[in-house]
Amino acid sequence: MSNFLTVRDLVIEVPARNIKILDGISFSLQSGQTLGLVGESGCGKSMTCYAVAGMLPRGIVRTSGSVSFEHSGQTGAKSKAPKIAMIFQDPTSSLNPVHTIGYYLESSLYRHQGLKGSDARFEALRLLERVGIDRARSRLRAYPHQFSGGMNQRVMIAHALAARPQLLIADEPTTALDVTMQAQILHLLEELKAETGMALMIVSHDLGVIARLADRAAVMYCGRIIETAPVADLLQRPAHPYARALIDCMPSIDPDDLEPPAPIPGSVPLLDDLPAGCHFHPRCPRTSAECFVRFPAPATIGPVHEASCYHPVAA
Amino acid sequence: MSVPFLQASGLSKIFRHKTGLFAKPTNQLAVNAINLELAARERIGVVGESGSGKSTLGRLLLGLTEPTEGGVWFEGVNHKERQAQDWTAFRIRTALVQQNPLSALNPQMTIGQQIGEGLLVHHITGRAGARDRVASMLERVGLSSAMMNRYPHQMSGGQRQRVVIARALILEPKLVIFDEAVSALDVSVQAQVVALLRSLRQELELAYVFITHDLRIVRHLVDRVAVMYLGRIVETGDIRSVYEWPRHPYTRALLASVPSMDPTVRNIEPPIKGELDGSILSTGCTFRTRCPFALDRCVTETPGLRFVAGRQTACHRAEEFPQAIAKQGSLTRKDIAR
Repeated sequence: MSNFLTVRDLVIEVPARNIKILDGISFSLQSGQTLGLVGESGCGKSMTCYAVAGMLPRGIVRTSGSVSFEHSGQTGAKSKAPKIAMIFQDPTSSLNPVHTIGYYLESSLYRHQGLKGSDARFEALRLLERVGIDRARSRLRAYPHQFSGGMNQRVMIAHALAARPQLLIADEPTTALDVTMQAQILHLLEELKAETGMALMIVSHDLGVIARLADRAAVMYCGRIIETAPVADLLQRPAHPYARALIDCMPSIDPDDLEPPAPIPGSVPLLDDLPAGCHFHPRCPRTSAECFVRFPAPATIGPVHEASCYHPVAA
Repeated sequence: MSVPFLQASGLSKIFRHKTGLFAKPTNQLAVNAINLELAARERIGVVGESGSGKSTLGRLLLGLTEPTEGGVWFEGVNHKERQAQDWTAFRIRTALVQQNPLSALNPQMTIGQQIGEGLLVHHITGRAGARDRVASMLERVGLSSAMMNRYPHQMSGGQRQRVVIARALILEPKLVIFDEAVSALDVSVQAQVVALLRSLRQELELAYVFITHDLRIVRHLVDRVAVMYLGRIVETGDIRSVYEWPRHPYTRALLASVPSMDPTVRNIEPPIKGELDGSILSTGCTFRTRCPFALDRCVTETPGLRFVAGRQTACHRAEEFPQAIAKQGSLTRKDIAR
């Protein structure tokens, strides 16, 4: 199967401050597949999404590497650009407060599908119902402030679907929501993936969310992908000490597992003051002299499982 | 009989909302007839969805909001009977830690000034004494005392939350309310704060109420849990027995909603749909509109808290639930190769 998205040696910098936000990111995604990006705040997860979506903020530039898409089975005038939609952590602040939900969806339907008037309204209604908003007809006239965070996230998803995306990027889509709403949104994303066959990139710092949705997962630290593997492999046989440590941080809900979450010593270094060599070495229990000198190249751990570590944790 | 350390009895809070200029105000029952007792050095978790009234309960316990009905007694004194000087004494003995450390800190003061402010305001120490206390408190929460002269914007989120905790603990309070104190933090920083709280509770003889929607974190911090739904406590008891065998369908749904670390657990229907519906149901169980097990009886009879299997639960069908649900297919960290 061909790769829908290929990112190769991507470097993203802030030239004004001479900071590398992403330093040589490479990954690929097949159509219909789900990639999970996991890591702590500031590791570059969101910036990877922005780079893929081609919406890097002003002042942040791609200095080398490439993001390329391969389209298959798409013909027609507008088939050149891939359809990408994105949803964010805080749905309420992503929605324009002065427009109704209906206006918001209909304008997107007009832009992406050319639907107008009653056709657009009908489709907007169908989308709202699809994402699980009841009494959808009256809700079309509602404003975002009249909705809860969970409902606004559903609206964001409906809006994303209006573009009929080939790739949906979900940046911490459930972090601001209650667990009960999180379970509902995750299930909705699962269903929509199966229905539409779109590829999904999901960003979360919660490995539970990644475990639920992703086929492959990439662990990021300080602007680099330090381990990538099928999600089951990553969770059961993490090779990089940082991936291992992230798993140990997750508090368990199992009543028999009384061990509290194990903190990672130290804190994430600032991007303008990164340690030389492997960026994780000051916090790592497995360091040796070479870790201080050069960033380790990705080493093969198993089939489609790579980790950038000189001393991977034995499986 | 000894006086309970902290006691809430029949505690209710009604907020009146006006939806429009001429609209009739609507009543929102944020906290509904809650009874709660906390012993000195005891730690309780309060969990529930947003809108369940957990934060209002925390504010009522600290006397930051006045109850509509019922009362709160701290060391035998009702908040209503406190005079101004009693309030000062109460404030020294209690503290509140909120969710967002950046908005809880003053951007124009150094963290040393903010942590030490209480000591100076209450004339507990002089300036030199305050400096020493702040330095030792900073080290106790895992920060360097050299950070005293920094401003909040110069710190990371985890460091700021430690500062807020240090500020709460500097007066050596006996009761702290943590309101979503770790929810905004990354998992790795959460783990650090959890480790910090676990070590502090042994040192400081602290009682606390840990309010959160995170059922995973709270388990490692408290002995007892109270599950809230629409202003009521629907289940409360020893955290281990509640998590092992939840007897209220809402508790079961909350626990089953926590994403599992097992990647084979997929395509599961969400255990409950929708979200809290604030419209007040005059009779019956308030959870029945979302409950998959509701009977006719749940519409007509309001279930009160009663003892079932060593905890209190407010469900007519508490005895009928099998144990299985909480542990369905969950891959635990023990299954992961070390």
